[in-house]
Amino acid sequence: MPPKTIIRREEWERRLHDVQVTKDDLNRLIMDYLVIEGYKSAAEEFSQEANITAAIDFASIESRMDIREALQRGDVHEAITRVNDLNPEILDTNPALYFHLQQQQLIEHIRHGRIQEALTFAEAELAPRGEESPEFLSELERTMALLAFDSSSLAPSAVSELLSPAQRMKTAGEVNAAILESFSQGKEVKLVQLLKLLAWGEWMLSERAEFPKLDLQAALPGHGEGMGEDEYMHE
Amino acid sequence: MSTRGSPRTYEPRVIRVDTARSVDNACVSSSSTSPTRTRRPSATGVRAPSVQRPPVGHPPSLPPITPTTFPRPAYLDRSALRHLLQTEPPRLPGRTEPVTIRVGSPGHSAGRSRRRSPSSDSDEEDVSPPRELPPTTPSVLLSSSPILRLPTRWSDAYRNDMLSLSYDGRELIYHGVSSSADKDAAAARTIYPIPPACGIYYYEVEITSKGNKGNISIGFMGRDVKVSRLPGWEKNSWGYHGDDGSSFAAEGRGTPYGPEFGAGDVIGCGIDFCQNRAFYTKNGTLIGPVFENVGRDCDLYPAVGLCHSGESIRANFGHEPFKYAIEDHTRRQQNLAWDKIQSKPLEWPPISGMKYENGAEGSKDAPSGSSLTAEERVKVPINQLVLSYLAHHGYARSARAFEAQCKSRGGLSHVDSLTRIPPPISSASRSIHDHGMDMDDVTSGEAQEGDIELRTRIVGSVTTGDIDTALIETQTHFPSVLEREEGLMLFKLRCRKFVELVLEAAELKKKMKMEESEMTMETEYENSDVFKREWADGMDVDDGASPSLYAGSMVSNGHGASSAAIPIKAKRKQSFASSQHSWGAATALQYGSALEKAVQYGQILQSDYKDRPEIRAIFKRTSVIMAYDDPLEAGGDAAEVAGQGARVALATELNQAILRSQGHPTHPALEKLYRQTAACVIHLALLGVGTAAFADMPREFLDA
Repeated sequence: MPPKTIIRREEWERRLHDVQVTKDDLNRLIMDYLVIEGYKSAAEEFSQEANITAAIDFASIESRMDIREALQRGDVHEAITRVNDLNPEILDTNPALYFHLQQQQLIEHIRHGRIQEALTFAEAELAPRGEESPEFLSELERTMALLAFDSSSLAPSAVSELLSPAQRMKTAGEVNAAILESFSQGKEVKLVQLLKLLAWGEWMLSERAEFPKLDLQAALPGHGEGMGEDEYMHE
Repeated sequence: MSTRGSPRTYEPRVIRVDTARSVDNACVSSSSTSPTRTRRPSATGVRAPSVQRPPVGHPPSLPPITPTTFPRPAYLDRSALRHLLQTEPPRLPGRTEPVTIRVGSPGHSAGRSRRRSPSSDSDEEDVSPPRELPPTTPSVLLSSSPILRLPTRWSDAYRNDMLSLSYDGRELIYHGVSSSADKDAAAARTIYPIPPACGIYYYEVEITSKGNKGNISIGFMGRDVKVSRLPGWEKNSWGYHGDDGSSFAAEGRGTPYGPEFGAGDVIGCGIDFCQNRAFYTKNGTLIGPVFENVGRDCDLYPAVGLCHSGESIRANFGHEPFKYAIEDHTRRQQNLAWDKIQSKPLEWPPISGMKYENGAEGSKDAPSGSSLTAEERVKVPINQLVLSYLAHHGYARSARAFEAQCKSRGGLSHVDSLTRIPPPISSASRSIHDHGMDMDDVTSGEAQEGDIELRTRIVGSVTTGDIDTALIETQTHFPSVLEREEGLMLFKLRCRKFVELVLEAAELKKKMKMEESEMTMETEYENSDVFKREWADGMDVDDGASPSLYAGSMVSNGHGASSAAIPIKAKRKQSFASSQHSWGAATALQYGSALEKAVQYGQILQSDYKDRPEIRAIFKRTSVIMAYDDPLEAGGDAAEVAGQGARVALATELNQAILRSQGHPTHPALEKLYRQTAACVIHLALLGVGTAAFADMPREFLDA
């Protein structure tokens, strides 16, 4: 690797200053986050206070969030009903998503010790799907393995993690993304994409140059460093 | 040989006598330092004669080639730096030297500087010395708007003499008496290298020769590769050869690659800076990727080579539609590049190499959630990012609603950390907070929301022009804001108040004039010349007198209070008619007192700050608005000082000052995040990282 160039702070500050971005631009990034992540009332307030419109109607945020909440409390049946109310095509056109919802249903049965129901459900609903694809089959096997352990603490983590809240959130996230897609709304939060781009960009550049990195944690309020900063927002 | 459109007279070229028939790179180099190289100062704007190698073996004295301009090819719109990519040098007055800017890159500094001597008065790069200039420090090379020139024509100097060049710089014809192919190879490259910030660069070459089955090579070469060899044979050159369809990368024996090509075929040649791989097309069909590390260690120029008499080619650098659907190709590659960047799961903090240095993968720092995925873990800081943004700009209701929703959400167990935003910490206790993220150190939410609203109210009153409220509230709640920098903020607010007073007066005046003009229609009253002259003599604002003092004297001189206007040099034709008329009088009186108030306030300001020259400059700029009838419509400086934009700017400044006084950052973390990311990506793109060139932030993040 050749020696790295060094970009001094003043020079870097000047470049930061030259970046073209306005408050309205950033407001839209915030709105995108509020909408996609389903902060309905915040989105409504923000649309008034910042005088911007969201590309989606606020009522749909609510039903999306209801579905998410249903999944997070383990009520898969409710979630499936609501998704179908919203748009029946979502599950029809998305077999993997439907399978994951049913898998979640099976997990909920097992979690609550409804062994008989779990077996019946697995046999009637999931086994036929398992024949459709190897991916479904291995997921089904992994889930059924839960039954083999008395207590989930004895199970290998690949199995026991199915009972974690993260599994519910994963399923909820998948449903959320599918619904957003059905509205032709971007499904990944732009703010997250921006953070990923930062991580990539700083890493790539740090292989080629020494430059002032951004300590985001410190840039959040409560961490000072506000004194004597350059002003770079041109209004 | 101008590459520019500026009209100029033709001047004879200085022809260097050179007996060498085969001119190659070595000669090109020596020509530049040759004593015959004539230069004369270009101060008068006269173009210095350029140096040309002897035109051997083809018609001498080509007339100057008409410059050809065309818009940037559409496929280049995929580059995030598209606005910097230019097909033709811009015409800079008083500057004949095309400035090519290259970001310093550690790997590339030696042997590939594109910069030329600033003293060079030529307008063609061909005659400039290829010798190395002293290395310039990389940081200065990136000006805020570097210009990246695209190849648009073959170079007149970096071409073999057996090739003649058409007027438009796109067609090359082989004129040599060919015998054995290898010996008489003749190559040419373009004037400008390919800016890697293109992401993907593409050009097409049509084989226009008749009948001859030739050995034609199409590809790229570095800056100083011999033009007596086919591209692909020499180091830093790459070529696809028509006689056998092989690809050559600095080698004498090629690798089977694509179909053969010859007369009538159109060969496309592209470079993808995401992988530094080339690709070719034949008659609009993609052949596939080829070569590794193309252009990693050198500048890259489109290049062709011919071997036989009668062979000819014509290049399309994008001035006409391409055979191949390069736009679709580029779009696909852009999507792939974006997916690659986005494929890694996000960790917090998102900066690799900084926080992960100790091998900690971030999970250790996770507040409580061993059961949470990385994706879930980052939600907390992202929520902080959002909430702090809302609080920063004073979107109080949004902030409150967002915070409430975060708290009520089940899956996030540690949302309580959000209440830290924005903690009202005195500067005395700030040091405690500086030590880092202490989750227990939570200030009560209620107090903060009060703070946001207070700040928002103050800032809002500046935006609406109610400076008195802003002054009083700031004094009450954030006195240190007004005291900082010897009261600079206080002064700026008072200045604004002065502006508001003047605007008030101007508004009344407008009203008065409307009433007057209605009146004038009735009374047909004409201005007297004497009256006009009196105004013209006494009230010239150019005389350097302080406009405010001057205006003050006017108020007291008699006509001011009843009929006067702010004297306007540019708009002196005013009807001073009939202000005595009964229904204009009330307004006129109001106007008079408003004006008096403004003037007095201005005088107080003037005297309060008379010992502070740095501040007087600000005041001077402000007081210019006194010179206009209607400052808001005057345009220029006056409107800038008076307009809503100035209020908003001041409000922003006050907001930042208050935040700063509370120990908060003056810019929201989100804004810093965006700027830092953009600066990294732009720099990478200029360094030639194609993936970065395709990371089009405005398109990805800002377009609605």
